[in-house]
Amino acid sequence: MKIALINGSPKVNNSASGVILEDLKYYISEKAEILDIDFHKSVVSEEQLKILNSAEAWVFAYPLYVDGIPSHLLSCLVQLEKARLQNHNIHIYGIVNCGFYEGIQAEFALKILQNWCIKAGFTWGGGIGIGGGGCLSMMPKTKYGQGPKAPIHKALELITDKIIRHETQENNYVSVAFPRFLYKMAAEMGWRQLIKYNGGKAKDLKKQWK
Amino acid sequence: MKLIITDIKDFNIPIQEEHKIISPQGDIRNCIGCFGCWVKTPGKCVIHDGYEETGIDMSKCTEMILISECCYGSVSPFVKAVQDRALSYIHPDFVIRKGEMHHKRRYENVISISAYFYGDNITETEKETARNIIEANADNYCGLVKNVQFYKTVKELEDITL
Ligand SMILES: Cc1cc2nc3c(=O)[nH]c(=O)nc-3n(C[C@H](O)[C@H](O)[C@H](O)COP(=O)(O)O)c2cc1C
Repeated sequence: MKIALINGSPKVNNSASGVILEDLKYYISEKAEILDIDFHKSVVSEEQLKILNSAEAWVFAYPLYVDGIPSHLLSCLVQLEKARLQNHNIHIYGIVNCGFYEGIQAEFALKILQNWCIKAGFTWGGGIGIGGGGCLSMMPKTKYGQGPKAPIHKALELITDKIIRHETQENNYVSVAFPRFLYKMAAEMGWRQLIKYNGGKAKDLKKQWK
Repeated sequence: MKLIITDIKDFNIPIQEEHKIISPQGDIRNCIGCFGCWVKTPGKCVIHDGYEETGIDMSKCTEMILISECCYGSVSPFVKAVQDRALSYIHPDFVIRKGEMHHKRRYENVISISAYFYGDNITETEKETARNIIEANADNYCGLVKNVQFYKTVKELEDITL
């Protein structure tokens, strides 16, 4: 069985989506052949279409952008709908990570992918909404199923089972196992460090243009 | 000021009040997720292609009107690119509102959002998704939803009053 893992973050390096897909591979790799696909830009290449057409399941991992799907990925979906691939037995799964703490905030970004499945003629297999995605690319590697990523790993393990069996699951919403107030504090400290690193001051974060 | 963001290139629906229209005049680049609009040039996007100041435009408007093809319950890639590139309308710090995490305001203006979607085969589920997303946008901008409507064609849209 071939499974395409699609990274839908516009970031080429250090994306949370990339971390999530790497972790998913830990669960999937022994059970299926993995095809890595990057959708960092708004166009799907012929080569990518060919690879995608050979897979039985596609797993999209992407960030939540303004309550929906990043614009470049939306362009890819429009293109894929028009491409009318021959292989219509494909199951589609979505894993959306968001900067906010609550995974449920990714609900409508999963719904867009589900709606797209109907228009493009694919089968929706369900998804995961992950809250607290902002810290995933900075976290050191932990043992699978332990530490702050434990709830994410559990959700990935569950969805792996569904993907392998060609089954559909209800969307599953999780957050990093890290208190919300600490996540908020860490993020806010992070913005202050970054702006200083760029030669600015912490107070510039609240700059208002007239 | 009314801020209109539309994917219709030759947009010519009359608007009574002071307004600004953002429509496809030249290619738009997509957000690259760098957060430069928060930590390099706070308030402005770092990509210079003519679409970098929507966050500022939003701070000057009382009403934001999205006029877009409906793509699976989302606005179209162009309108979404404009929205993604305007992340800096809000401040990077978090606040908890109604038990959920959102961002702090950068500006004081309260935006009321209207959305006019078009498309010849918008399903009921897509309409529901679209309404939900506009509501979520209003929560995140700390604004309000004024109106969400659906049309079959761009032609039908010509009868709306903005
Ligand atoms: C333009 C833009 C819009 C975003 N909108 C949201 C949002 O509406 N809700 C949210 O929780 N996070 C939002 N985020 C945060 C991202 O979802 C978060 O940083 C995520 O971890 C990025 O994933 P990636 O590294 O896989 O791209 C936004 C980020 C950007 C750049």
